[in-house]
Amino acid sequence: MEPAPQTRHPVEPLHVRKIYRLQQIRQLAPDIYVLRFDRNGMNFRAGQHITLGIPGNNQVREYSIYSTEKDPALEVLIREVDNGLVSKQLRKLIPGELLEVDGPFGYFTIPEQHLHKKFLFIGTGTGIAPFHSITGTYPNLNYAILHGVRYTRDACERHHFPRNKYLLCASRDTEGDFHGRVTDYLIQMTLDIDTKVYLCGNCDMIYEVYDLLTSRGFPSGNIKTEVYF
Amino acid sequence: MNKSDSERVRTVVEGMGYSWTDEEEEANLLGILACSVRQKSIDKVYSRIARWNKWKNSRNLLTFVSGCVLPADREKFLKLFDLVFTMAELPELPDMVRQYGVVSQVAVAAAAAGSDPRVTLPKEKIREFWMVQPTYVSEFEAFIPIQNGCDKFCTFCAVPYTRGREISRPSQEILDEVKQVVEKGYKAITLLGQNVNSYGRDKQGTELSFPDLLKAIGEFGKSSGRDFWVYFTSPHPRDMSDEVLETVAQYDCLAKQIHLPLQSGDDKVLIRMNRKHTYEDYQRIICSIRRILPDATVFTDIIVGFTGETEEQFENSRKAMETIRFNMAYIAIYSPRPGAASARWDDDIPMAMKKNRLHVLTDELTKHTSEYNHNLIGKTLKVLVTGHDRKGGYLSGITEGRIVVRFASEQPIALGSFVWLGITSAASYSIEGELVNSPIGIPEPAA
Repeated sequence: MEPAPQTRHPVEPLHVRKIYRLQQIRQLAPDIYVLRFDRNGMNFRAGQHITLGIPGNNQVREYSIYSTEKDPALEVLIREVDNGLVSKQLRKLIPGELLEVDGPFGYFTIPEQHLHKKFLFIGTGTGIAPFHSITGTYPNLNYAILHGVRYTRDACERHHFPRNKYLLCASRDTEGDFHGRVTDYLIQMTLDIDTKVYLCGNCDMIYEVYDLLTSRGFPSGNIKTEVYF
Repeated sequence: MNKSDSERVRTVVEGMGYSWTDEEEEANLLGILACSVRQKSIDKVYSRIARWNKWKNSRNLLTFVSGCVLPADREKFLKLFDLVFTMAELPELPDMVRQYGVVSQVAVAAAAAGSDPRVTLPKEKIREFWMVQPTYVSEFEAFIPIQNGCDKFCTFCAVPYTRGREISRPSQEILDEVKQVVEKGYKAITLLGQNVNSYGRDKQGTELSFPDLLKAIGEFGKSSGRDFWVYFTSPHPRDMSDEVLETVAQYDCLAKQIHLPLQSGDDKVLIRMNRKHTYEDYQRIICSIRRILPDATVFTDIIVGFTGETEEQFENSRKAMETIRFNMAYIAIYSPRPGAASARWDDDIPMAMKKNRLHVLTDELTKHTSEYNHNLIGKTLKVLVTGHDRKGGYLSGITEGRIVVRFASEQPIALGSFVWLGITSAASYSIEGELVNSPIGIPEPAA
């Protein structure tokens, strides 16, 4: 391919994303951290996500908002991915440096008219993030959380959840509330058919839970999903 | 969307003194409006610019690329094209050409605003783009953008990363453009947007909703005394409401044709696609369409061979085709698009299997379109004449439901006229008819 010889116009994307300032990084586990940054007046609904990247870098990724609607700053929960283009770069930032943020986006939220209903939240790994935001925003919500991790050390900031509403399923150690995967626990659970089930995390978990619930006659319309990839 | 964009590009380019040519070999300014939905179309951009850059050795030629371009491709294009700009920057194209080699204003302004967390520049820019008067290629069919960008983040699509988030065009501008084209005699108008039925939501109550926009167009249609059809594409099932359908039912000028992308008939694939609706939700909308708009045709988009799609999941798409009986389906073989989330997953369905699934769905579609079209035989339908058929002495057109029709005509009939045809025969994807009355003045057929 023969390149054209002249100078080029620099180009900006159609939608210039907003620049936010990093306040703090909280390392919660060897490969899990929280980015805390200026909110800049962003209005969001608990459960929504944003896109995040380094200014000037072409790569952005979607992250659920971890902080509550009332928090003066924004937080996201990030797992550092091997060979990840964004998660590793973000971890190298130091407070005061800039982030490129767009959003909020998404519908993984609690509709006002459902606030009185019963909820089961199931998240794997950092898929706990939207539930952290939702339960912190609506502390009076009638809910239970199943959090699936491999090792108990990955159950970041679980003390933020009320002890009687949060159950940790650890598949590779016995330190959690239940030794096994969330689906193993779910099999034993009885579930009210009117419960609203929210699933967040890897696609395999979501598929397994979906199959498990629908095979027991649970209506698919009561299942909301947010796939992490 | 690209067709509509190109009509605005034409206005700007012609305003600079260039005249349009269909001959690539004789042009001095050549441009591409790219589409990032599939990798194949981006691959074509690379092969085309390679050819153009060779031509530069023997003639004076300026090249540009715009449209739907991922940031990673944009960087590569900078090395290959003379000008690379977003559609929102189109009004500045004359300056870019004049000051070739100089930084574009939007880039300067955006760079200067880099530390400002409240950058508003792009919204202003897209408004300027909408203000460009398009040079319609057709004399009877117009495409009017009403919204730009997408907030849905379907995992197979890169649009949120190329066009940015949803921005609704001011309704007054849309209404003005609709009135303008109708007064010029346009007969088929398509309202365009990546998620056309989420129109207005980004304005949080300060702008008309999509049904209200349709009502305003419908009211104009009623009072105008003109005959025309207004379509919209593409709506997202998540935002489709009975109110939209009831509004379409209420006004003659709102065409009874709904294009509603399904993408997959399997709930788990829909989850993986991040479509935010189930097949049951989709079926519910189809039931509403059949109830509220019983004569409407229904078109769809479906992807086969999406990453991880099992035989059972594909079978659910086939069953959906069988159940819903679409009038048309644009069936695409999945290909990962760099920049879209699904590109990070294995493209694990072999091409031979994808092609087979495409054939299976196409066969399923054909059964229903053929049956539907045969049921039209003997009916009298209003048809918009859109072109000359390959078969000499024949004209082609579309029904209100966008079914392709052809008919013999010994008398000259202007393209863009409405005629009434008695349907005499049918094929899988088209029908044939005979003129039953004079095409002049859109006469109603005898009862």
